[in-house]
Amino acid sequence: MKRSVVFFLVLLLVVFSAVGFGKVKIQFWHAMGGWRIELLNSMAQEFMKLHPDIEVEVQYTGSYRDTLNKLIAAVQAGEAPHVVQIYDIGTQVMIDGGIAVPMQDLIDSDPTFDIGVFMPQVLNYYRVNGKLYSMPFNSSNPILYYNKTLFKEAGLDPNDPPQTFEEVIEMGRKLVKRDAQGNIVQAGITWPFHSWFFEQFMANQNAPLVDNNNGRTGRPTKAIFNSPEGLKIFKFWNTLTKEGIIINTKKEDWTGARQLFLSQKVAMLISSTSDVKLMEDGAKENGFELGTAFLPRPADAESGGVVIGGGSLWIIGGHPKKEIDAAWEFVKWMALPDQQITWHQNTGYFPVRKDAVSKLLFSGYYAEHPHHLTALLQLLLSKQTYSTNGAIIGAFPEIREIIETAVEKMIAGEMTPEEALAWAEKESTKAIQEYNELYE
Amino acid sequence: MSRKIAPYLLLIPTFLVIGLFIYWPAVYSFNLSFHRRTPFGNRMIFVGWKNFIRLFEWSEYTNTVVVTVSYVALSVSITVILSLLLAMLLNQKIPGVRLYRTFIFAPYAISPAIAGVLWSFLLNPVVGHVNYFLTKTFGLQVEWLTTKPYAFYSIVFATVWKMMPFDVIFYLAGLQSIPDELLESSIIDGASLWKRIRHIIVPLLSPITFYLVIMNIITTMFAAFAIIDVMTKGGPANSTTTMIYRLYLDAFAFQKTGIAAAESVVLFLIMSVVTIFYFLLVEKRVHYQ
Repeated sequence: MKRSVVFFLVLLLVVFSAVGFGKVKIQFWHAMGGWRIELLNSMAQEFMKLHPDIEVEVQYTGSYRDTLNKLIAAVQAGEAPHVVQIYDIGTQVMIDGGIAVPMQDLIDSDPTFDIGVFMPQVLNYYRVNGKLYSMPFNSSNPILYYNKTLFKEAGLDPNDPPQTFEEVIEMGRKLVKRDAQGNIVQAGITWPFHSWFFEQFMANQNAPLVDNNNGRTGRPTKAIFNSPEGLKIFKFWNTLTKEGIIINTKKEDWTGARQLFLSQKVAMLISSTSDVKLMEDGAKENGFELGTAFLPRPADAESGGVVIGGGSLWIIGGHPKKEIDAAWEFVKWMALPDQQITWHQNTGYFPVRKDAVSKLLFSGYYAEHPHHLTALLQLLLSKQTYSTNGAIIGAFPEIREIIETAVEKMIAGEMTPEEALAWAEKESTKAIQEYNELYE
Repeated sequence: MSRKIAPYLLLIPTFLVIGLFIYWPAVYSFNLSFHRRTPFGNRMIFVGWKNFIRLFEWSEYTNTVVVTVSYVALSVSITVILSLLLAMLLNQKIPGVRLYRTFIFAPYAISPAIAGVLWSFLLNPVVGHVNYFLTKTFGLQVEWLTTKPYAFYSIVFATVWKMMPFDVIFYLAGLQSIPDELLESSIIDGASLWKRIRHIIVPLLSPITFYLVIMNIITTMFAAFAIIDVMTKGGPANSTTTMIYRLYLDAFAFQKTGIAAAESVVLFLIMSVVTIFYFLLVEKRVHYQ
C-alpha cells in the first residue's frame, strides 16, 4: 500500500516535469513603457493560448538605450533573451555584434511566410546589404500637428497648414502672442529637442547624412551633412529661436513638447506619428480642433521623404534550436495583420504590412481617424532613395548627441549656424572613424 | 599559532567581498582603459595611452572637467554654509521647532531622480510655479533648464536642496553636543553672536565640517548623475555635463567602453589627489575635542 503511494507520487512527478519541460520557454524584452506594457502582455497571453507548448516571458526592460545595455550585459553573461526589441539606430551595432539570427535566414527556411506583404518603405530601412536582420515591429515618422482653433484666432486659414520652412516662420510670427512685458504667452511651434528631426528634415530634402550612400552600400567613413540642405535646417531652427517663434524643450523631452501643444501654449507641434491617438484624445479633452500635415521642407528643396523610426524585433542566437523555432513562431505571430492592427490602433505606430492597411481602409477606420491617414500617406508618398531609407551608422547614438549639442551651441549664440554645422560634421566623422577602427 | 591565523581567517569573507566587488572591477577598468572594445565585446584592441590622449585633446571632455570643478565647488560650499546656518536656527528653542526640522529633512528621504523630476516641474518655463511667481511679481520669464547659465544654476540649486538635510542633521547633532557652559561663559564675557560663531561654534564643529565636505564632494562628483539626467541631460551645449555624466554617456549611451574606462581612471585619480591633499592639509586645522 505504502509502496504504491510512493510509486504513484513518483509517477506524478515524472509526468508533471515532462509536461513542464515539454513547454518551450522564451524571453521577450521590449522598451515600450506606459500603457503599452499591459498591451504587449495581453498580446503574449493570446499567443500562448494559441501555442500551449510555448511560454513567453514578457519583460519591459526600460528605454531603448537601457534595453540595448541590458542585452549587451546579458549576452556577455551568457543569458541572452530570445526576442528583443532594438531601436532603429541600433541596427548596425547589432549586426556588428554578430549575436543575432538574421531574420532573413528564418524567412528563407519557412515557406509559410511571405515577406512580400510588408511595406517596402519599412523593409528598405531594416534591410542592410540586401538582407533583413530583424522583423519590423513599431514604426513611426514625424508629422506636423496643428491647432486649428488657434489658427482661426490668428486669422489664418485652418485648412491651409504650412508646408515649407518659410511658411512655418511666416505663420509662426502671426501665432506668437506676447504680454505687456514682452514675455511670450503663446508660441508658434515646438518639437522635442532631438536630432531625429534634423535627420528627418534632411531626408525630406533627399539629402544624406553620411557617405557610401548613407551607409547603405558600405560602412560609412565620414559625415557629409554639412551641406546646403543641412545649413537650411540649422538656419531655420536658429531663426525660429531668435524670433521667439519656437519653444525649445529640454533634450529629448517628448512629453514636454506634447504638453506645450496640448495646453495650447504653442500652435504647432512636430512629433512622432506614434502620438496620433494621444493627440486626438488630448485635443478633445482640451477643447480645440486638431489638424495634421506633412513634415515641412524648404520651399526650394528637392522633394524627398521621411525615414522610418521606431524599433524592430531581433532573435538572439546561441539558444537551442527548439527555442529559436519558438521565438520565430512568436515574432511571426506578432507580425500578423490582426496583431499589427491592434498595435496600430492602441499606439499610433503604423501597421508594417500592406494587408493590415487594406483591412483598416476597407473597414472605414481611416475615414473616422483622418490623422492616422496623414501619417500613413506621408510614408507612402515618400520617395524611396538612400537618403529616405535612413542612414546606417554604428556610431549613430553618438552622432545624435553631437548634432543636438551643435544646435544648442548655435541657439545659445556661441556659434553661427555655419560653424555649428561644420563642428557637428567634424565631430561626427571622428565618431564614425573611431567606431570603424574597431572593425578594421 | 592558531591565534595568529584566526584573525586572518575571519577577515577572509570581508576581503572576498571587497576583492570581488571593488578591487577586481577596478583592476578590470584600469586594464580596459588601455583598450578599445566593440559594443558586444567580441573584439578588443590594445591601444596604449590613446584613450587618454583622445580625452585630453577633446575640448568637450576638458570642458566637463571645468563644469565639474565649478559645480562641486559651488554646490558644496553653498550646502555647507547654508546647512550650518539652518542648523543653528533649528537649534533654537522656539515653538514648533520639531515641525520645522521635519520639513527641512524631507528632501533627504526623496530619491535624487524624484528630486530631479520635482524641480523640472517647478522650473518648467511655461507651467512651472517658479516662473509663475516670477512673471506675476517681476514680469520675468526665465528658461531655467534650456538656457545658459540658468541650467547650471538650476542643477546647483537642486543639488543643494537635496544634499542639505544630510548636513543639517550632522550639524544639529554637533551643535547639541557643544557644552552649554562654553556658550554661557562667552555670553558673560560679552562676546557678540558673530564672535561666538567664529571662535566657539565653528572650531568645535570643524570635525563635522571636515567629514561633511568630503562626503559632499563625493556625492556631487559621483552621485549627482540622476539629477542631471532628469533635469537637463547635460545640456544646453554641455554646460551641465559633468565628468560622471559624460562617463555615463560614453559607457551606456555610446558603448565606448575603452574611452569610458579611461574616464573612470581619470576620475579615480582626481578623487585620490583631492582626498590625499584634503587629509594632509585640512585635517591639521580640524579641532578635535
